[in-house]
Amino acid sequence: MTTAEDRGESLRMIRDSAAGIASRNSDLKRIRALRFTEPGFDRAVWREMCEMGWLGLLVSEDQGGSGLGVQEFCALTEELGAALIPEPLIAAAMAARLLPFDALPDVLSGERIVLPAWQEKPLSIDLAAGGTVFANGRVTGKKMFVPMAAGADAFVVTVPGGLALVERDAAGVHLECQTTQDGGNSGTLTLNNVQATWIDGDPDLAFETACMATSAYLLGVMDRVFGITMDYLKTREQFGRKIGSFQALQHRSADLKIQVSLARATVNAAAKAQDESDNVSVRKAAVSRAKARASDAASIVTRGCIQLHGGIGYTDAADPGLFLRKTMVLAPAYGAAALHRARFRDLAPVGDED
Amino acid sequence: MNELSDEDFRLIVREWVAANYPPEIRNPLKRLHWNECKSWYFKLAEKGWLCPGWPVEHGGMGLSPGKQLIMLDEFERHGCARTIDQGVLMVGPLLIAHGTAEQRAFFLPKVLTGEHVWCQGYSEPNAGSDLASLRTVAERDGDDYVINGQKIWTSMAMDANWIYVLARTDKKAKKQEGIGFFLVPMDTPGITVRPLTTLDLNEEFAETFFDNVRVPASALVGLPNKGWSMAKALLGFERIFVGSPKQSAYALARLRDLAEWIGVWDDLAFQAVFTQHREDVDDLTDLYEVYVEQVRGGEVPGPDVSMLKIYQTELYQRVTETMLDIAGDRSAMLEPMEGNRALNPAGLFLQSRPSTIYSGTNEIQRNILSKNVLELPS
Repeated sequence: MTTAEDRGESLRMIRDSAAGIASRNSDLKRIRALRFTEPGFDRAVWREMCEMGWLGLLVSEDQGGSGLGVQEFCALTEELGAALIPEPLIAAAMAARLLPFDALPDVLSGERIVLPAWQEKPLSIDLAAGGTVFANGRVTGKKMFVPMAAGADAFVVTVPGGLALVERDAAGVHLECQTTQDGGNSGTLTLNNVQATWIDGDPDLAFETACMATSAYLLGVMDRVFGITMDYLKTREQFGRKIGSFQALQHRSADLKIQVSLARATVNAAAKAQDESDNVSVRKAAVSRAKARASDAASIVTRGCIQLHGGIGYTDAADPGLFLRKTMVLAPAYGAAALHRARFRDLAPVGDED
Repeated sequence: MNELSDEDFRLIVREWVAANYPPEIRNPLKRLHWNECKSWYFKLAEKGWLCPGWPVEHGGMGLSPGKQLIMLDEFERHGCARTIDQGVLMVGPLLIAHGTAEQRAFFLPKVLTGEHVWCQGYSEPNAGSDLASLRTVAERDGDDYVINGQKIWTSMAMDANWIYVLARTDKKAKKQEGIGFFLVPMDTPGITVRPLTTLDLNEEFAETFFDNVRVPASALVGLPNKGWSMAKALLGFERIFVGSPKQSAYALARLRDLAEWIGVWDDLAFQAVFTQHREDVDDLTDLYEVYVEQVRGGEVPGPDVSMLKIYQTELYQRVTETMLDIAGDRSAMLEPMEGNRALNPAGLFLQSRPSTIYSGTNEIQRNILSKNVLELPS
């Protein structure tokens, strides 16, 4: 067991290690340059991230990872969010936890990118949808909304009772990528009797972690854009005054600050529950509450920050828009707020304590 | 008590409260008057639990802030009424910090026995949010001070026999620097109390008039120009109380009772709204815990604690507004449904209204966040 102090130290180290690639003070030039390109991220940076051990952070040590917890992973993805990092760490980490030992080395080194394909329709977090089937070493079906699929070498596909590993260039694979609002892409994977490798396993836990990590990423997004906006209010002048001196803008800012703080408290508490609670329902309810808050808060904060910037906020050249468009992609990813609220309600029956 | 583990301490408090709290005043609908809540005050006094924060040598429990929070948590959990606690929360700590030996020896025991019931003379008709602009004056006259002016929102002034008053001692000084802190018996000639009926038809507040009220110089606490800074410093970790999620959680439980009684509990649209409120309460609880941890660690929360007050009180109001929505025509009635106090949407709605106004309006709290946390320019 780690003590609270050890944990605090390990979280600090993770955050510090992120600073090289994902600096909170970065100018977002690289992020802008990668938008609307294919595959939408940089494989050299990807290898660097893998060398830092980020992809294997949650993979156990005997499998070549670092065996750290959800709290560490969330600390990392929060930093990635603050820097709007497009490399698909959250998705790839979900896949990495599902791969068998012998498939891991190439993946953890960054040589090969494997992404998870689990979703079969919009507005769904049903991992057991069952529309994609595996039989006699072949898989048939359709998966949607695979993040950054244009950069994948292979996919871990969820099927009833387990998983199937499908190569990108195998016969019968049709991948159609659509550009997303943040300049990345989202793949629809049609599999027609494709040769695949069966993997024993359950995507459940890896999915929960991806929800948590996305919540933390959104926390980083909202925190950074809020900071950028406060700086703007302290410099921009109108009517001969700094606009941050106007009470209408101050009160808007205070309300956004409350959303950021609620999201932080909720995400941190939920990440802790993932590492410390033995009760599956408690863990999942916490995940759902965190994702609902993070999605809603990021939406409120990014929209509010555009408003606080005024006209310049509506230009593509100004940074707040990058954060808004990232939120438009990630707020619904791994389940939008309404879906997670419904799941929370089902998982956490109303208590009778009052 | 401080040596007990938090869990053991919590259990001891829980059991004692369950066995000793007067059942007839559980979860009261209104702020209770002295004759209604004094039984609880005396129970606490008898047990030695009336003043958890006071040092032991002054008759308190000398309880750590973390343990005090647990105690409050258990009281709220059981639905204990707030007593008339200004002597406990304000006068005692102020005298312990700034009073003379004589003042402490005279006043502290009388708070502990309930002989003195205190009310607060801070706000004035023209000094509400801008309290430092108060105009009640205390003029030195030989060995006495003579107080003239008007206070408002004096909670429980009709029940109190003593009042502590902020009054201007120096009209020429900067507005925060010419204010003194005075302790005045309510039966002093020249004091008139006029009750104010609140929006929920309770006589909780009063206007208190001071017309040549003469008090001895010993009524002054500390220096004549330090009243403001002393009063301000009194608010330490207690500021998190007003952001406690318990109030919203209580309203949420009543919303559930009401929805079940009306028959909309299983309605999907209602469930969506209810679940949103519930998550808001739970998320607020996570944020509240961040501050509880600070207090446990011996820190005094900074100005960012205003976030709790804003979010809690506005959530409390949202929940009661949902009660009105589902009750519809029924919420027009003056009395609770079927005489059941748990089915009282209009009552709870009205009760929630002042929460965004008292203890510093939510607009003032947003100003505090803007200036002291976000450091926006003025």
